[in-house]
Amino acid sequence: MSMAENQALAPASEGALDMDQVEYTLRKRLPRKLPKRKNDIYVNMKTDFKAQLARCQKMLDGGCFSEICIHGLGLAINRAINIALQLQGGSFGALQIAANTSTVELVDDLELDEGEPLTRTRNNSAIHIKVFHTLPK
Amino acid sequence: MQRGLGVRAMSGVNRKEKKFAKLMRNQPSNITFSSSSDPGAGRSGMGSSESQTDSPHYSCFTHHQGVNGGHVQQQQVGSSHQPSCYGDRQRGSHRGGFRGQRGSSRGNYRSYVQEIPKIITATNFAQARAAEINAMLKAVAHKSSSQFLQSLPPAMRRRAMSHNIKRLPRRLREIAKKEVEKIAQLKKEQSKSKSRKARRRHGNLLMEFNRRQRKNIWLETHIWHAKRFHMVKKWGYCLGNKPTTKSYRACYRAMSKQCLLQDLSYSCCLELSGTEDNLLKTLGRLSSRDAGTTFASVACLSGKRQGSLVLYKADQYPTKPLGPVTFLWRPKTPSENRQLWIWAHPALKMDLLTELQLVCQCLDVPVPEPAPSECKTITHVTANQTVPGLKRKLQDNAGEEVIPEKKIIGDGTRDPLQTVTWTSLTSGIVIEDLTMEILRYRLIGPLSHCVMFEALQAAAILKNSEGREESGLRCWWSEYCKRPENMTLHNGQEGVLLLLPGIASPAEIPAGTVLGLTVGDPRLNMPKDRTTAMPDPTQVKDLEKIRELCLNGVGAEFAQSEIWDRNVRNIVTETKLTEQELNQMRSKLLVPGSRLDLGPQESKVPILLVQQPGKMAGQEHTGWGSGWDILIPKGWGMAFWIPLIYRGARAGGLQEGAKHTQYKGLPHFPDDFPDCPAGIQHSMETEKELIGKYKKYPPAKRPNYIHHGTMTPFRCPWQQLVEDWKTQNQDGSFKLAGSDQEQGLRPEMQVSSREYVGVHEKEISSEEKPLKLEEEMEEESESVTTLEPNIGCENLQNPSTGDRCSESGHVSILRSRKLLKQISTWCRPTSSKGQQTRRYVGSAQVQMTADAVKAIICSHPRFLVWVRLSLLKKGSPVTNATICIPSEEDLHLLASEPNCPGPQEPKHRDPFKHQFKASKSQKKRAFSQDPETAAGDLQRKPVASCGKDLIRGLWPDRPQNVMSHCSRLTIGFVTQGDFSLTVGCGEALGFVSLVGLLHMVSSQPAERRGLALVRCPASLQYRFAKIDIEV
Repeated sequence: MSMAENQALAPASEGALDMDQVEYTLRKRLPRKLPKRKNDIYVNMKTDFKAQLARCQKMLDGGCFSEICIHGLGLAINRAINIALQLQGGSFGALQIAANTSTVELVDDLELDEGEPLTRTRNNSAIHIKVFHTLPK
Repeated sequence: MQRGLGVRAMSGVNRKEKKFAKLMRNQPSNITFSSSSDPGAGRSGMGSSESQTDSPHYSCFTHHQGVNGGHVQQQQVGSSHQPSCYGDRQRGSHRGGFRGQRGSSRGNYRSYVQEIPKIITATNFAQARAAEINAMLKAVAHKSSSQFLQSLPPAMRRRAMSHNIKRLPRRLREIAKKEVEKIAQLKKEQSKSKSRKARRRHGNLLMEFNRRQRKNIWLETHIWHAKRFHMVKKWGYCLGNKPTTKSYRACYRAMSKQCLLQDLSYSCCLELSGTEDNLLKTLGRLSSRDAGTTFASVACLSGKRQGSLVLYKADQYPTKPLGPVTFLWRPKTPSENRQLWIWAHPALKMDLLTELQLVCQCLDVPVPEPAPSECKTITHVTANQTVPGLKRKLQDNAGEEVIPEKKIIGDGTRDPLQTVTWTSLTSGIVIEDLTMEILRYRLIGPLSHCVMFEALQAAAILKNSEGREESGLRCWWSEYCKRPENMTLHNGQEGVLLLLPGIASPAEIPAGTVLGLTVGDPRLNMPKDRTTAMPDPTQVKDLEKIRELCLNGVGAEFAQSEIWDRNVRNIVTETKLTEQELNQMRSKLLVPGSRLDLGPQESKVPILLVQQPGKMAGQEHTGWGSGWDILIPKGWGMAFWIPLIYRGARAGGLQEGAKHTQYKGLPHFPDDFPDCPAGIQHSMETEKELIGKYKKYPPAKRPNYIHHGTMTPFRCPWQQLVEDWKTQNQDGSFKLAGSDQEQGLRPEMQVSSREYVGVHEKEISSEEKPLKLEEEMEEESESVTTLEPNIGCENLQNPSTGDRCSESGHVSILRSRKLLKQISTWCRPTSSKGQQTRRYVGSAQVQMTADAVKAIICSHPRFLVWVRLSLLKKGSPVTNATICIPSEEDLHLLASEPNCPGPQEPKHRDPFKHQFKASKSQKKRAFSQDPETAAGDLQRKPVASCGKDLIRGLWPDRPQNVMSHCSRLTIGFVTQGDFSLTVGCGEALGFVSLVGLLHMVSSQPAERRGLALVRCPASLQYRFAKIDIEV
């Protein structure tokens, strides 16, 4: 599904590479994609919040999955947490959540007008929230 | 009652007359009887009595034609002297004929009355009749094959008469029998000499295929494609346009989620070899650092990356571009010479080749080719196709015996004796044309390297002892294996290949990474059925190495491949095992269906893998559509194609390729290069084609573009647009354009723009330059230069040179990265995406001030900018849609009603309506006279032909003041537009005039900057869109 996590990238802390702004063009590469199960949901900032919430709800209500995993990267962390809490709040205690955080390494290309293009890495935080039924169906 | 009947009868006659006139249109005058007189003629041959009464009727008909047209010749008068022939019917038709004409041309009637001659000369009259009779006799004598059936009156015809002669009346049977026999004989003679079975026999089929390949080059996958694709003949090739199955969306999904395969072997490769310094020195003239990558870019020069750039004619940047190319340097070898491959589109190849020859000062000195006899078909030069004259025909006939049954590998259209190598005596640079020597397949999509990984297996290393047994040519690999450094290289390359499945998308590794490889025969480990290659995360072992690969790409040494070596390529092509041999070997396997292990006999194929970056520019959907290109030596096309297809790649054609570039936001060659010769050519061809298509519809079933205010619905008048904006700018009216005042438009501006339009049109079409006009233009440019203030944009070539030296149109496209970046930030609304914008608006960024804008405008008066428009709400723009500046009210409208569809263009009046009507009635008149007067009436011709150019609903003249034709000022046109499946809304790519764009942006409030209107050529509805310049 919509995997535009790159939208959620918060800008890296500037100053790690202090270069003249005009000299290069910064191009962000996609974050590394991880193998994806059917019950993984990657949250982005572009899709409507309601739609993402409904999608999660549908998955849980459908009965196919007893748990789903919501992933958010950078700016989308807030939204991932929000979705998980909404799910839990709307379930009258039937759902529980467990959160994990991690760090994701991201790669940027610096295209210089002259010379070899540079790459640099920076880190960004990510969250992985497991939402599951308390009583196994 | 009577009267009504009469009218009906009259109208019936009228219709009949019209029909008859239509039949007689192209007849020479002396044969007035043709098909309609045939029944009479046929019967007269049979001695029927009816015919005598029939023929006068017909002759009377023809006379009415003449009378109605208001044109009387002698023969009418003649017939009018036979009153006995006139029945009621004729009188009716007489009246009917006049009635039809009365409305439009009453005067004709009077003139008819006056023009009846008093006397006729008997000799002339008799001569004319004699000619008619002769013609009649001739027509009777010569019967077409189907005439015996048509000679029967309809009432006597029976079903299946032609099948069974006995159904004919007896008196006709004799004749019919003869006829039938004759036809049967004819058919027999015409039929194919061979049976279908014989024709399909391998050798004969091959011969037939070879014959058909002489005109247009077939790719190696042609037969495969021809079975599944709509084929088109383009640029001298037969190419698959789009799949015959309905798979537009499936192909899109393949591109964005799975893998799409495309055969790009038609793109032409030119090889340049020489010392690095010489090459860089000469090629440096063709490009500029200002526009981004050059041949000298560090990463590309080492051979590590593939680069792409737009080439210009020598020292002509920023005007006169040739077109976009990609290039690849061979990694450094022990020898001093470097090799460079330039890959170009076939439409661009000839321009490029001539320019390269010019720059390198290469002569047509054929270098002694080490090519073996087999590769008779090395390359082709397009000039060959443009002259399909006698020369080639002769050669074909001669060549028929020499190469009868050998499969054509490579280029079948090329003259074997044609030079493909050119050497420079001064710099030692050798240019070689490698068209069709190297195949190029493109895999697009995130699964592309999974497909590749499964289909390709690195060649097994030969032990020394094994290599010895090999004989002759096959042993290039064993020779290669003997050197230990080659083996470490090979192992390294294999290691990189094994890392690939650990990467989820090709976009994760650096753009343009090159990996050389030697692989075994891919046909040997094919799956039985078509499978889908999926990434297997369990195989990923070495995470650290993958990370390293993602960060730094493949090392320059691993980009080395033997495919660069012409000898190796030829050996590999020659020693390929045919499908038949392979199958024979397979049939001898002990366990049927098990993998065939050829051991050292297995062919080893050197290939190159080149990563294609996906969407690079812009902030959205980065990395979309990334993939890999596979370069293969010729002859191995199908051997690689099928295994790739069997791994789950979906095949796409030209259309899918165009969509790919469109979704990536890149200009597509040749459509989107209006400043290149190939682009100009292309736009002219498309326009012709589209007009032809338009004309096929009746006027009521096609849009009237004049009413829609679209002057050029089938092309984009860049030239006029740019000139208009330039003039507008010089008038100094650089304030906010209130659309309504603009509508009235200053007359002098119209005049001046028209002048220029005329000039440049002429220059584009025929490259003649009226001296006077040129002077005028130079004056023009001088005035610009004096205006130009001294600003510190070093990239600004002075515009006067730009003005003077462009015969092929004065339009140029802005490709200076620095300037583009600057304008790009100006076009963004300041409030949204704060972080992103702030990054670009750094300390060095020029703020948008009146001075800065003016400076750019003055230095780049005739430039176009490539923009991407995404529509805010509904609507999907199409090609040639106009991009306009929204008026102030429009912006207010948008602010007050965010859901409004957008403003409407008021319907335009058709100023050509009367002209058209007049010409039509003229035509009609001329046309109805035709059967009588076409004899030798040359004076009448211009009357008929004057309305020829007028197509109803199309602007007939050269377009004038393109900019201000509609209620909103036009700043540009869309070249590709569609509903974008990636973004999920209508999206358009096109060019806008730089002056117009800056005019628009500078007059808009900061938070609404970059808002434009888009309107399709056949619609009055404007739609709001956001302009994005992606760098």
